Amino acid sequence: MMLSRVADHQYWMSRQIERAENLARLVRISEEMLLDDETLGRGSAQEYWTPVLQATAMEESFKSLYPQPRQGDAARFITSDLRNADSIISCIRQARENARSVRDKISEEMWTEINALNMLVTSPEGIDLLEVAPQAFYEKIISSSMLFDGITEATLTRDEGWNFLQLGRLLERADMTSRFLDIWSQSTSQDAAEESLKWGAVLRACGAHAGYRKAYGGEITIEKVVDLLLFSNEFPRSIRHCLRRADEVLHDISGTPTGGYSNQCEKLTGALLARLSFSGPTEVMAKGLHDYIDDLQKQLNSSSQAVFESFVLLPSEVGRHFTRHNRPESMSDWQREQQQQQQQ
Amino acid sequence: MLLKDYKPNKLFDELMDESGKVRPYYKTIVDRLSSLSHDELKTKIRSLELLFLKQGITFTVYGDEKGTERVFPFDPFPRVIPAPEWETIEAGLVQRITALNLFLYDVYHEQRIIKDGIIPKEVVYSAAHFRPEFMGVSIPKDAYIHICGTDLIRDIDGRYLVLEDNGRCPSGVSYVLENRAAMKRVFPHLFGGGVRSVDTYPADLLATLRHIAPRENPNPNIVLLTPGVHNSAYFEHSFLARQMSIEIVEGRDLIALDGFVYMRTTRGLRQVDVIYRRIDDDFLDPQVFRKDSCLGVPGLVDAVRRGNVALANAIGTGVADDKVTYAYVPEMIRYYLCQEPILDQVPTYLAWRDSDKKYILDNLPQLVVKAANESGGYGMLIGPASTKEQIEEFRQKIIATPRNYIAQPVVNFSQHPTLVESGIEGRHVDLRPFVLWGDTVKVLPGGLTRVALKRGSLVVNSSQGGGSKDTWVFAT
Repeated sequence: MMLSRVADHQYWMSRQIERAENLARLVRISEEMLLDDETLGRGSAQEYWTPVLQATAMEESFKSLYPQPRQGDAARFITSDLRNADSIISCIRQARENARSVRDKISEEMWTEINALNMLVTSPEGIDLLEVAPQAFYEKIISSSMLFDGITEATLTRDEGWNFLQLGRLLERADMTSRFLDIWSQSTSQDAAEESLKWGAVLRACGAHAGYRKAYGGEITIEKVVDLLLFSNEFPRSIRHCLRRADEVLHDISGTPTGGYSNQCEKLTGALLARLSFSGPTEVMAKGLHDYIDDLQKQLNSSSQAVFESFVLLPSEVGRHFTRHNRPESMSDWQREQQQQQQQ
Repeated sequence: MLLKDYKPNKLFDELMDESGKVRPYYKTIVDRLSSLSHDELKTKIRSLELLFLKQGITFTVYGDEKGTERVFPFDPFPRVIPAPEWETIEAGLVQRITALNLFLYDVYHEQRIIKDGIIPKEVVYSAAHFRPEFMGVSIPKDAYIHICGTDLIRDIDGRYLVLEDNGRCPSGVSYVLENRAAMKRVFPHLFGGGVRSVDTYPADLLATLRHIAPRENPNPNIVLLTPGVHNSAYFEHSFLARQMSIEIVEGRDLIALDGFVYMRTTRGLRQVDVIYRRIDDDFLDPQVFRKDSCLGVPGLVDAVRRGNVALANAIGTGVADDKVTYAYVPEMIRYYLCQEPILDQVPTYLAWRDSDKKYILDNLPQLVVKAANESGGYGMLIGPASTKEQIEEFRQKIIATPRNYIAQPVVNFSQHPTLVESGIEGRHVDLRPFVLWGDTVKVLPGGLTRVALKRGSLVVNSSQGGGSKDTWVFAT
């Protein structure tokens, strides 16, 4: 048993770090790809970013903030623009705020790492690094996220809080992998070299290059990438693998034996897992990759909403509309002022 | 030699007597500190502050959009209080909290002290933090102030004077513990043995909280109620909750149902017995106090009245640390305890008494004027250091609402050697010891020594450029 708000903070803290890591992976690969002539074909750099922004659900806010984007704007928007609540730096700041709210529940080492990451990306040195050596900047974020994961693994008691941390990370990872798969789901080309380049990039964004080669050899095709990233039971960033572990974590929280369910979240996650366990790339290609993923993302969202409803809300509150409540910026000034007034 | 240019500056100097001789109880520290150069000291302090920043041992600066977090500046030269001096302070603090608790019980019940003409009724009823809603309500052990953080200063003769009694939600104790840990880590060689430990504070605080559990529940669910992460003392809230292994909750984590308070957990509701609240009365319960409070719990006060949950500190203690009430504390001690006050306090003029008001208005440039209900160094005028405009502004405020202001002579309080850019110089210090009122009364040895880092400044508050140092009480 733990405070609902604490569970919520822990869940979001790890989600936000995982999201920051995945976005860093995505931008890093993208900037690399943009160095290759073939990536662009006859298009502009801006055309390259459009599907990336679409897949990460950032296109609308990007367009409103940058009606006439210039080179570098898209990467900046995803990386460091604080007006973008989902930018890498925004995610890190939110993760750190969430960590601050639960710092009596996480280990000193976990706190120190997340605090250091936040200090880095918000410091003038960090911004300089992003300017002069963007690849090094993204590497730092990726390795800090993985370090945080490792520290958590090595220092945190396996209690309910641990489970919520895992749950956040796993659901976010599944979601981000699905977004990576979605980037080029609607623009398949006849040019095998171009396809291989694109899907190779997706694999690298997921750190799946080696895993792929081992399973399927050198040739990169869309079906095999889908097979690995959606359906693999062994690859740690595949959606099925993430859901299987999320399912275990949920059953560990509730104490219900696997195969059944005792709350909405277990029910939805279990159903989605079953669906993935009993289908494969053929079904995906028949339905169309984009539609399949769209559907999948809706179900992932329902699962994540169900976490909130099952563990944070009281039964009488379920169904009320809650906005993204745990964002520091969602707090209004008068609320912040009241928090500050208490002092002696 | 680190102290070769150090001068006592015609104040009471903690380190040296009038002739410039180092006081005997500082001798060991001075010898050991002298083995370090100024640069070495500064490097050590810088690495320590970086460590604080990395660990997030920070407070939030207000009036800044981003809510910047800063490290509370730490000075490595520890303040020393010899055992006999501490015994007097301790006895004086125990006497004072005893009288304050008797006073609070009295004003919320029979009001004998008013009927006997010791304190005018107006003083009590006009105090902003007096809670008539709590008249006649009984609370566990009749204890009101469980945690007190009294501010002490020393005058030119070295006399300890009480400056104010912080009996609502005093903060700063986490820095006492963190400063000690930092000193041990960075300057272990300064410790010569005989320094009294501060480590038991969290356990003592927990015992204090357990002591007031409703119905003497031997295994109460105790929580710390914080305003939230944006509060300047959030680090402390989180620190204390962790040290005591209790939950740190926000108002939205609690829910009051049928006169009981529960916390919302992943497995449903769990009853709460004792709340160590770090929120002012005004914000506790929007049904009773400020309607616009987003920090409190609707129905909490009802649960307190029914005796189903206990608060530390109790509701309504602010009437005792009101700065007008303060002027009457020596009388309280005589009235309730039939004793003479052990600790002196600063002479205080009350603007609501006509004769005092005239004196205040005639002498503003020489006085310190304070708002009766403010703390944290806000709402204050230091006459000698103020411009004509500032003085006029306060004159108008005093004329408009005399009850809200008191004035005191400027006390040029003691200075202590402090590490500054150019070397070691004297800076003004105060002392905030922490007193716990539980089964027994416990005074944490030492307390928080705050230091005004600006030369000549008398303002030691962290929000206004103050720092802190470790405070050593010797066992013998």
